[in-house]
Amino acid sequence: MARQKSVVLAGTASSESPKKRGLSTTGLLPYLFISPALAYLAVFVLVPLARGVQLSFTDTRLINPTGGKSVGVDNYTNLLADDRFLNSLFVTITYTAAVVIFSLLLGTATAVLINKPFRGRTLARAILTFPYATPNVAVALIFIWMYNQSSGVFNQSIAVLGFGQVGWLEDPRYGMAAVVVATLWKVTPFVMLVMLAALQSVPDELYEATRVDGADGVSTFRAIVLPHLMPTIRLLALLMTIWSIRRFEIIYLLTGGGPVESTNTLVINIYQQAFNQQKLGVAAAIGVLGLLLSLVVTVVFFVVDRRATRKESQ
Amino acid sequence: MNRAGRKLGQLASRLLLIAFILIASFPIYWMFNTSLATDSELFGSGQKFVPQLQRLNEVPQNLAEIEILKLLGNSAFIATGVTVLSFILAVMAAYALSRFKFHGKGISGFFLFSTQMMPEALLVVPLFALFAGFGLLNDLTGLVLANTAFTMPVAVFIMKTAIDKIPYEIEESAKVDGCSPYGQLGMIVIPLILPSLAAAAVINFFDGWNEFLFANSFITDQDLWPASVGLAQFMGQYSTPLSTVMAAALVFTLPAIAFFLLVQRQIISGLTAGAVKG
Repeated sequence: MARQKSVVLAGTASSESPKKRGLSTTGLLPYLFISPALAYLAVFVLVPLARGVQLSFTDTRLINPTGGKSVGVDNYTNLLADDRFLNSLFVTITYTAAVVIFSLLLGTATAVLINKPFRGRTLARAILTFPYATPNVAVALIFIWMYNQSSGVFNQSIAVLGFGQVGWLEDPRYGMAAVVVATLWKVTPFVMLVMLAALQSVPDELYEATRVDGADGVSTFRAIVLPHLMPTIRLLALLMTIWSIRRFEIIYLLTGGGPVESTNTLVINIYQQAFNQQKLGVAAAIGVLGLLLSLVVTVVFFVVDRRATRKESQ
Repeated sequence: MNRAGRKLGQLASRLLLIAFILIASFPIYWMFNTSLATDSELFGSGQKFVPQLQRLNEVPQNLAEIEILKLLGNSAFIATGVTVLSFILAVMAAYALSRFKFHGKGISGFFLFSTQMMPEALLVVPLFALFAGFGLLNDLTGLVLANTAFTMPVAVFIMKTAIDKIPYEIEESAKVDGCSPYGQLGMIVIPLILPSLAAAAVINFFDGWNEFLFANSFITDQDLWPASVGLAQFMGQYSTPLSTVMAAALVFTLPAIAFFLLVQRQIISGLTAGAVKG
């Protein structure tokens, strides 16, 4: 295989074609172009990040955001011994795993279903994309109403089948599932669109070759199409993971971290510590640990991806 | 595989697809349906499955009561600011990443990507402290500045992918004619990547439009609430009927869906640039 498949995140690696090699150029010019963007990120991401790290070593309170004093690593040691924090770490991992696994499965399945031409396909694809374009706050509001215990459409529907009212957002047994379902509704179309693009880049000859061999649909998919999709699946797994760790609005508005902290992810925990408990220092420490989690995931992703790419290209 | 089996498989996959389409569209439909029901139906006699279209003419009046235009206006201000600022920063950065080799290019790209894994909630706290010092709390400008940090890198990815596809020879011949690098970018590259620029603008605009976290944390003045914060506040307030909240949510959602459909191809190619090159 002449062209090697690999996952290259835009901008992180050189994807130049040979004919562009002439441009290694001209001293300061590229820096003139890129420095405004980098300077902007330095001011609005790096400086606050550094300030956040610094805050995490203090006992700063919300009412006096500039007046905290240093407490060393106390915030971190307290957190690591705090059941509430450990619970929110566990909740984050559960939520992330569920969203990543189900969004990839459902998104891939939908992409496969819609990959073959049929009448009304453009319309079907457009409708399937609606959820991704729907603002998070609107997603949260309609799901809050649909989950409503006494009058929501879910409980009204299962009542017809003879079931009693379920407290989707009130019962700690169902809170996580309710939040995951609302999230999946929103994010699965993104997986579908990206997988569809990947499916359409599978060369027709590959299908032809297996058809001649008399392979059926499922084994064709597993033997031919799936390996071709692996780089895309890995990239999607990374994006879905770091986006899940970051996700705020849907969880905050649906459950606010409840019931009984069953959906209290790290990000929700940060927000509550900062704005309800007014402990900016503790909130910053949780944030730093959350960012470390995302960093570890990303590094693992790059290692796995590099290894897999090497194996696939052999 | 025999013929009957294949027919059956085809039927099953068709039914599954229909199920997915219903699931994707139902909540939007239910938003619409709820916006036309009264609270006594919703919480008493039960919501009808068919929308009560005869109430459609009451919707504008209900929306006027929650000052929807002020809410959407604030959202539009944030969204426009984010779009313009992101565009200026991103188009230059994308040009540099696509056209030049330079020291620190890899790290610059990673720096841009790293914003994608930064929880906004982490930056809310230090930005709150920072903005308090500059008087940017309760100021829509502060929301533009905070959000651009997260939207601009996405615009860079989309634009870089588009510029990568343009042959460099076109700029080279302009260079021979004495065109400056900024002239090459402005007069040659930009006109050639207009669809992708539109896609980047749409995605940035709606990132600003949807923004909730920073606004919810920094804005206490009700007159400055964007629609996202206003809607979340109205939900569960007994003074605002649920139908009005849902009508507002729908008005807030529909432009996002419409514009996204126009440019989804470029958005996907930008967000996943390089992932799908077999």
